[in-house]
Amino acid sequence: MTETTPTRRTPLYEEHKALKAKTIPFGGWDMPVSYTSVLAEHKAVREACGLFDVSHMGEVVVKGKDATRFLQHVTINDPAKLQPGQGQYSAILNPDGGMIDDLIVYRLTDDEYFICVNASNADKDFAWIKQQSAKFPGVSVDNESPRYSQLAVQGPTSLDAVRALVSQADQAKLEALPYTNIMRTQIGGKPALLARTGYTGEKGYELYIPNEAAVSAWKTLLATQPKTGIQPIGLGARDTLRLEACYLLYGNDMDDGVSPLEAGIGWAVAIDKPDFIGKAKLVSQKEKGLTRSIFCFLMDGDGIPRHDMQVYKGADLIGKVTSGSVLPTLGGAGGMALLDPRKVAVGDVVEVDVRGKRKLAKLVKRPLYKAKVKA
Amino acid sequence: MDFPQGLKYTKDHEWIETAAGAVKIGVTAFAVEQLGDIVHVELPNVGETFAAGSSFGTIESTKTVSDLYMPIAGKVVEVNKAAVSKPESLQEDPYKNGWLVKVEPTAGKVEGASLLDAGAYSKFVSEQDH
Repeated sequence: MTETTPTRRTPLYEEHKALKAKTIPFGGWDMPVSYTSVLAEHKAVREACGLFDVSHMGEVVVKGKDATRFLQHVTINDPAKLQPGQGQYSAILNPDGGMIDDLIVYRLTDDEYFICVNASNADKDFAWIKQQSAKFPGVSVDNESPRYSQLAVQGPTSLDAVRALVSQADQAKLEALPYTNIMRTQIGGKPALLARTGYTGEKGYELYIPNEAAVSAWKTLLATQPKTGIQPIGLGARDTLRLEACYLLYGNDMDDGVSPLEAGIGWAVAIDKPDFIGKAKLVSQKEKGLTRSIFCFLMDGDGIPRHDMQVYKGADLIGKVTSGSVLPTLGGAGGMALLDPRKVAVGDVVEVDVRGKRKLAKLVKRPLYKAKVKA
Repeated sequence: MDFPQGLKYTKDHEWIETAAGAVKIGVTAFAVEQLGDIVHVELPNVGETFAAGSSFGTIESTKTVSDLYMPIAGKVVEVNKAAVSKPESLQEDPYKNGWLVKVEPTAGKVEGASLLDAGAYSKFVSEQDH
């Protein structure tokens, strides 16, 4: 059988080809997986700076006088806590408490929000949010994904790289931008958004740029290389970087059958809000206790854990690996697993079934790599 | 991409020596390039026997695990421990220091209709790498 779904290309596709990137299909897109080597790219982000084309990610704009009340209803976190310019990690749930997606909600003004969603879920998310908004007549929901390219600039020297894109007037604001906040600016003469967020565990920025300004922004950022050490990074290193920081990957660590409490993001659930979609299920899970929960683990010895491998405590099957890999910065291998918290706790040694061989792993505190996002 | 003339190749991207006696087996430069960073290699024990086309080990990159397939039927008489302890050495040189196992062919010599010479393998790879 051959793949018949046409894959989409970002406005930077020709740049990737010119840089001889290896590409793979991801979430319906043809995306760079690496330019040189996953391990070298991983190291570059930890030690200097990496540039990622993440234009496959989706963007949804929600506005209107009831926008806050609507997002309180449809997302797990509380957007009323945000001042204009601030952002928060959140998720949208189905009525059974399962995650439709995880996302970042930025408040742009009192009644306008900008939401960044996962590539593979963008159409589904937009349809769901739009459908829910029918009960909120004062709210409009727009899918802005086709308009925006997204670049992520991540690493200790990321601020110096992003400076090259921002006008003199906005430099002070950029420098003072706190973690998770967003600002409006001009990039290549076009109105753009610049957020202090990321998916690597390093200090970094995510830029939402109108498509027509994406190639010149990409080139301007790469031109800072002599000063910043910036280099392009593919999805391969993006995955090992996020895994070390224990950031969840939709479709691996959670999906529409996993609740945010099980996924270990209970801190993002504003459970005291009067109502939100999925609340009843989360309240019930809190009362009864969880039967599975995300744990971080490190392999003790050889064996590389992979998605879906079974995890045992003695003869007892206690769950499955959700993400696993070598861990380039920490050394060795490890990952995350959905395990039964009634049977294991942090500090326990468990066994991962690596293609028929039991390999030892130790459950450790989250995260594996302590993020330096506020540096 | 280098595919030495003296070797035979499989469509699973292994190479095999054609000399008499025990012969070395490894993976091709194309396989190595496709895998990217090689981070783990698992090989069989000396003395194990394998049918042609059966899996005798695995090779892992940061992202994926691939099976290693026997080009011929035979018995493993030596494994390259250096390839296990330093999997990245395969990237530097998949044909010399990067050999994986040495096998005594069951048939006494290397033969098989499915084995390709360097030219045929090179052509096969160029059709894969669209």
